[in-house]
Amino acid sequence: MSVIALYLLLLKATVTSFAGMGSLPQIRQDFVVTHGVITDEQLSQAVVIGRSAPGPVGAYVVAIGYFAGGWPGAIAAWLAMITPALLVIPLLTLLRQFLHLPRVRAAVDAVVIASAVLLLTSVVRMAMDSVEMLRRVFG
Amino acid sequence: MRFDKAELRTLGWLVFYDVNRTLGGLASMELLRRSFGARGWMTDEGHALFVALSRLTPGTNILAYCVALGWQLAHWRGALISLAAASIPASILIALLSATLAQIDRYPLVRAIIAIALIVATLLVLVTAWNLLRPYIKGTNAARTGIIAAIVVVLVLMKVTPVRILLAAAVCGVVMASPAAPPVAEVDR
Repeated sequence: MSVIALYLLLLKATVTSFAGMGSLPQIRQDFVVTHGVITDEQLSQAVVIGRSAPGPVGAYVVAIGYFAGGWPGAIAAWLAMITPALLVIPLLTLLRQFLHLPRVRAAVDAVVIASAVLLLTSVVRMAMDSVEMLRRVFG
Repeated sequence: MRFDKAELRTLGWLVFYDVNRTLGGLASMELLRRSFGARGWMTDEGHALFVALSRLTPGTNILAYCVALGWQLAHWRGALISLAAASIPASILIALLSATLAQIDRYPLVRAIIAIALIVATLLVLVTAWNLLRPYIKGTNAARTGIIAAIVVVLVLMKVTPVRILLAAAVCGVVMASPAAPPVAEVDR
């Protein structure tokens, strides 16, 4: 997979999530299920590394980028992680103009709820992975 | 506000120090509030606005918070310095850890540690999901949240991709919009 494709796929995941780990379901869909560039085990390892290191929770995507494309992949992932944050600048302006509209607010809230539920579905798979890893190590 | 080079360096240092000595999220935001508040560079109202905005911005909340903070103080220069200071050190550390792990993950002891760490990470992800969901299950919001959650679960079982699920959720939100709902910025997250 090219570095640009890696960046765009990770950007798709980060720009459609509303928390550091919120990108996890989309990343699994694209990198494990659709393109098969990393395994479920590597995805779990990336989460472990991301949660073990200090700093932003969403930085686990750098580990995904590294596993998928080495150091260039890690740099592409870093770019994909920071790009959505810049959207806060236009949001600063738009907030007072549109967020008071009930339908806009409700749409944003619904997306946050959906991303939380998607995250819960990822937790189920991660729990199964950890049990499977323990079984292989100690079994 | 016009920032000189020394103040920009201080801005970068404070963001680097406060974000990279915690595990991100609200803890980092609280440290930043104290550091910048002590210098008169941020009010409590500004902090509340940035927290709300960071929740609404796609991606990692603490990075959006840092960009908003830097932008407010020194526009593009402030935003980019804050973003770099918050994201580069952790990213380098994570890439190095990934490279190390790729070399040593064949050893049984390492695999056992990873398996146990994965259980802890799973619980932390569960907490993240709960923190996102919690403000929406109070009072009259509970029914609406339940409906959206049920729709999401059905779509997941139908193997619909996450992006389409989020779009479907946005449409549901518009359809179920209630004029009485509190503004997002006032919701206790």
